[in-house]
Amino acid sequence: MASVMKSLARPLTPEEREKAFASRKKAEVIESQRLPVRYHVEDFDVEDRPRRFLEAFASILKHTNYRLALDHYVRVTARCARCAVACPIYDATHDPRDIPCYRSELLLSIYRRHFTVSGILRARLLGDPGLTDEKIQELADSYYNCTACRRCHFDCPMGIDHALVTHLGRYILSEIGIVPRALAVSVREQLIGATGNTSAIPVPALIDTLEFLSEDIHDEKGINVPFPVDQEGAEYIFFTAVSDYMMEADTLKGIATVMKATGDSWTIGTGYYDGINYGLFYSDQVMEHALQKMEAEARRLKAKKILMGECGHASRTAKYFYPTYCGGKDALPVISILEYTQKALKEGRIKLDPEIVSEGVTYHDPCNFARTGWIVNQPREVLKAFCPAYVEMAPNGRSNLCCGGGGGTVSLDEVRAFRTTVGGRLKAEQIRRTGANYCVAPCANCKKQLRELMEDQGVECEILGLHDLIYRAIILPADPKSEEEEAGSASTSASLSTGGTS
Amino acid sequence: MTAWIDFARGPLFRFCFALMVLGLLRIVLITLLGVKEAYQRNTDKIVSWREIRRQTVGWLFPVGRLWRQRPIYSVLSFLFHAGMILTPLFLASHILLWRNSVGFGWPALPQEVANWLVLLVIFTGIGIFLGRVLHSGARKLSKLQDFLWPLLMITPFATGYIASNAVISPRTYQGMMLVHIYAGDLILLMIPFTKLAHCVLAPLSQLVTGIAWKFPAGAGDRVAETLGFADRPTWVPQARLATAPDAVEPAKKGEIRK
Repeated sequence: MASVMKSLARPLTPEEREKAFASRKKAEVIESQRLPVRYHVEDFDVEDRPRRFLEAFASILKHTNYRLALDHYVRVTARCARCAVACPIYDATHDPRDIPCYRSELLLSIYRRHFTVSGILRARLLGDPGLTDEKIQELADSYYNCTACRRCHFDCPMGIDHALVTHLGRYILSEIGIVPRALAVSVREQLIGATGNTSAIPVPALIDTLEFLSEDIHDEKGINVPFPVDQEGAEYIFFTAVSDYMMEADTLKGIATVMKATGDSWTIGTGYYDGINYGLFYSDQVMEHALQKMEAEARRLKAKKILMGECGHASRTAKYFYPTYCGGKDALPVISILEYTQKALKEGRIKLDPEIVSEGVTYHDPCNFARTGWIVNQPREVLKAFCPAYVEMAPNGRSNLCCGGGGGTVSLDEVRAFRTTVGGRLKAEQIRRTGANYCVAPCANCKKQLRELMEDQGVECEILGLHDLIYRAIILPADPKSEEEEAGSASTSASLSTGGTS
Repeated sequence: MTAWIDFARGPLFRFCFALMVLGLLRIVLITLLGVKEAYQRNTDKIVSWREIRRQTVGWLFPVGRLWRQRPIYSVLSFLFHAGMILTPLFLASHILLWRNSVGFGWPALPQEVANWLVLLVIFTGIGIFLGRVLHSGARKLSKLQDFLWPLLMITPFATGYIASNAVISPRTYQGMMLVHIYAGDLILLMIPFTKLAHCVLAPLSQLVTGIAWKFPAGAGDRVAETLGFADRPTWVPQARLATAPDAVEPAKKGEIRK
């Protein structure tokens, strides 16, 4: 199948453009915050912004490793525009400001001007006044148009990682108070709120949900599948995007059934049960603190491994940054449920019925799983094992297209039009061309974005998780009655033997 | 004019060449020391060296990667770079010059092959110049210097080719040689100080990026502390609001995303 990139390369129509870039914000807010961006921002100090931006930049350079990358990037950047062709955002807008290299250059030029000797000397000679407030406004707008999907990184002959630059740019912005409100409010609840998670789900509600899910499974499959809570010493402690407990019942039921079938011990901790980590999108400090909560809960329950649910950014954060902040090589191993299930299937510990899902199924690679090459084939192996009508979309795997809601933008409801008109334009066409009835997207962010995308672009395709389909097709070994009897006889024999010894 | 040419291929060349070598050594050392320092700064030593190696080697010999984006431009660019590296190094007359002054040499390319390579560099150079001019994205992205680089780079090739192949008057020949040698010296001189430095830095990019993604533990807190926000991380209410809270509309208490 030909790639959709070339055949679709036409700019947005004026109507689409107007829709995508329409701002829902009040003019007086934009005026008072001096920030013409489409996303909402909580109030912050706007006085003397360039100076404070540079102070934040300097402080970050002092304590982190970004200087290494920036020094290198300002030396090698060639501005060849190969990345332009790789970027789905630029493909839609055809706006030079959306070329990844241009986006990075915004920050690199500030670095060059204020933090390199040659830049400072040149500015002295030319009388360059330095960073302006307008540039900060441009930065704030531009860096949240990028979905941080990292697709451009693999097409840069110079090896520049534009997503790293975007991450840093957002980090600096956050230190002067420019963070999308939706992200800031969620993180506040997660780190200092009463419920301690981004969706503000209290523990009783969580327990209710889990019991309800258990009953559901019993009704549908006729088997008792527990969601173990606060089990000390379990093999796996489970974290997923906490919104799954409200939105993705079938995914959770699928995961619980797989765990039941393999028989491995697992648990959800009531002390902390949120895998979401918006720090990946805008702040190293947030990332570290959220991961430390995960670490504390895993240690409290003496779990041996961390099992991440179907969520791309949460899994990537845990996999690649949990060791960074929680003990390096001594940190607990992090495993994705996608790897786990594939392994279990390979070892014959779960059985899937190939006759249940006969409709066309395709697979969307979440960027945070696939781009590093971590999880590409595992879910495909599972799907091919029980979905006879499985089709690939193109491009896929490591060079997949982003759903259009990456980098935290999916949480910003105020930019939905942008996400579904610009960000996910190619993705919608890509999914439409597969003709599949189901698109498997094992990531909470991707699921939300793709559902909105299918709706706004009028594509007939149901978006679901890998374990939603597994739940439909899994063959569970024992029938509940005999199992209860077995359990009964086991406990009897146990009590008998205890009786015997006493 | 002969004196100018002799100066340019004698002392000036030696100066430019030495400066290039020292300049490149300097930035490679700075980069490698930076990598070492960044690596030591982290508690996390899990680095996927295999992936870094794979990407680095992949971009050094990018034959399989050229077709993915902008294939024509990419192929032209690859041939341009290959010719650019091979020809000056393995040209018989360059090696002869080197042997006469330094005392040792190395095997040269047959003159026929070298001639074809020079033509290749000239035409692919014009090609990538056009690729930049004609591609709307690249055009908008480029600064003035980006358009000039390919033209500067093919100057010594074009003049050298004319001087050694065309039937021209001795005066024109000397003029060509003059431009050829001065342009060559200029390029050598500029390599360490401009984006031409990618000739040695590009192979280090994947390593640099891989290590830069390793964040030092505790850095976030230290950044906030340096900024005077030790007790006001970005997630507390009104974290970066310096004016009196009464002056603005206060944030709703306990505001929670639905």
